[in-house]
Amino acid sequence: MAVERDLWRLSAAELQRGLLAKEFSAKEITESALGRIAQADPEIHAFLELTEKAAYKQAARIDEALSQGTARECGPLFGVPIAFKDNMNLEGTHTTCASRMLENYVSPYTATCVARAIGAGGIPLGKLNMDEFAFGSSTETSAFGKTLNPWDRERVPGGSSGGSAAAVASGMACVALGSDTGGSIRQPGAFCGAIGVKPTYGVVSRYGVVAFGSSLDQVGPFARTVHDAACTLNAIAGRDPLDCTSQESTVDFTANLAEGVRGMKVGIVPAFMEAKGLSPEVRHKVEEAAANLAAMGAEIVEVALPNAQAAMSAYYVLGPCEAFSNLARFDSVRYGYCDPGHKDLGSQYEASRTIGFGSEARRRIMLGSYLLSSGVYNTYYYPAQQVRTLITRDYNEAFGKVSCILAPVAPRTAFKFGEIADPAEMYLTDMFTISINIAGNGGMSMPVGPGEETHLPIGVQLIAPAFHDELMLRAAAALETVYGPAPIAPDFDGLNDNAKAGE
Amino acid sequence: MTQYVNEQDVRAIAEYTRIGLTDEEVAQMTIDLNSIIEGLKPITEYDLEGVEPTFHPIGSLSNVMRDDVVTEGFTQEVALENAPHKQDGCFLIPSILGEGGDR
Repeated sequence: MAVERDLWRLSAAELQRGLLAKEFSAKEITESALGRIAQADPEIHAFLELTEKAAYKQAARIDEALSQGTARECGPLFGVPIAFKDNMNLEGTHTTCASRMLENYVSPYTATCVARAIGAGGIPLGKLNMDEFAFGSSTETSAFGKTLNPWDRERVPGGSSGGSAAAVASGMACVALGSDTGGSIRQPGAFCGAIGVKPTYGVVSRYGVVAFGSSLDQVGPFARTVHDAACTLNAIAGRDPLDCTSQESTVDFTANLAEGVRGMKVGIVPAFMEAKGLSPEVRHKVEEAAANLAAMGAEIVEVALPNAQAAMSAYYVLGPCEAFSNLARFDSVRYGYCDPGHKDLGSQYEASRTIGFGSEARRRIMLGSYLLSSGVYNTYYYPAQQVRTLITRDYNEAFGKVSCILAPVAPRTAFKFGEIADPAEMYLTDMFTISINIAGNGGMSMPVGPGEETHLPIGVQLIAPAFHDELMLRAAAALETVYGPAPIAPDFDGLNDNAKAGE
Repeated sequence: MTQYVNEQDVRAIAEYTRIGLTDEEVAQMTIDLNSIIEGLKPITEYDLEGVEPTFHPIGSLSNVMRDDVVTEGFTQEVALENAPHKQDGCFLIPSILGEGGDR
């Protein structure tokens, strides 16, 4: 059957409707997605590895189920092309974390979130670029080359899940998984104009996802429609005996998307809106989104998060401390880079870790080591955990008054490569996202159109109470009725149009 | 700016974390770490008297137990798949007490 449409353009819901109506097959979806990647990825460099064989195998499974009339039983992602951040193990693929340290590592097992996505019928396309070990906000620290922002290839896609955001925003993947320790799903979502969801800590299992900050890390989806994001979350959420922080999930995240926001109390944090460094165009978009929610019947309420300004420093204590501990496992003995020719173990350790880790990874390991050292611990680490108590209290109090909070995601739109060289300045791009990881509740980025000044995508952040992620998705779905689904970046929207396809 | 760590401290941390730095890298790392630690100042200025720490977002949950049933794990072969050097079903490492024999 000839495929008249560019299937890669379609949302998960559209793909599934078409499959059930026998308009096209899962094999044709796979061909379209892989063809799309072959065309667009040389311009973007979002993928580090493709999994064509696994994709076609899965497509055959879906097509078989379709012919049996059992496609829906495959799961909520049946026939949906999906790609995974390269810190997620998928058996038989390289899982590099975009680091020389793991360049030759081949996963002997599959992460729970990946297994669930594929088990739910997702068609696995491959593995996506990221900041090395997720340390960064621009994907520039990848050891395998930077990913380009599909909206402007002179700019960063954000990070650390920059490959995931860019793949979805350029139409290469219908949905993608990323991970978020301080903003690593939401900020690239905002920079690339994609929906990015960091669920509440405990919603998705991290088993098989290479650990960065274990008390902060959470896995979540990227998508171009709120429904697709919710659908992906349905597939991956829930208790996993292999990650004791994961919780039972009984919520259908797609169930109340159409309910609207009438009567919903949505919080605005005045201190965020007046924050130093927030660009006027981002501020304007957040205010506009608030006005739109109000017009749809939501009540906008001012709430205070008085301790949120301490989140930044708490994060840059807790994150590096946990990273230092997690990265101690790279010992050049069991897996990972091993520098050849050493006669004693000590020199092999040092040479392997020196060559294997990039500069940001080294910086965070050394910072974490310093902060946890005797005499320093009581000055930073312990107070940071006390601050976490205060921030959690702030959110609990705010969520006593409102169902979700509306805030900026990033203080500005995507910056140019090399524009921010000072690590301390780079850290500021996560100023509005970090307190959510510290407290553990859910947050997401919802694209609300380009900024009036830079004409680049802007995302607003919706923040939900812990284990009530459905509330932010519902508010996002309401905004989607105003702003529409996340568009494919203009330069890539027409790449495969009929005129060109005929050439 | 306050100096929290000097080059000697940075060399000691590098040695402890098994990361080799050139003299130039030590100098740059000292600048970077001091700048980052300066940014952590707010945490030291907070009045946290009597505030309990939260070490984990899901701190209030009880321990997770399962039945003591043996389940399948990695085989020895799989566990060694990614080992840079192995021999007779074991990870192979150079001498741990200085200069040793050949691998």
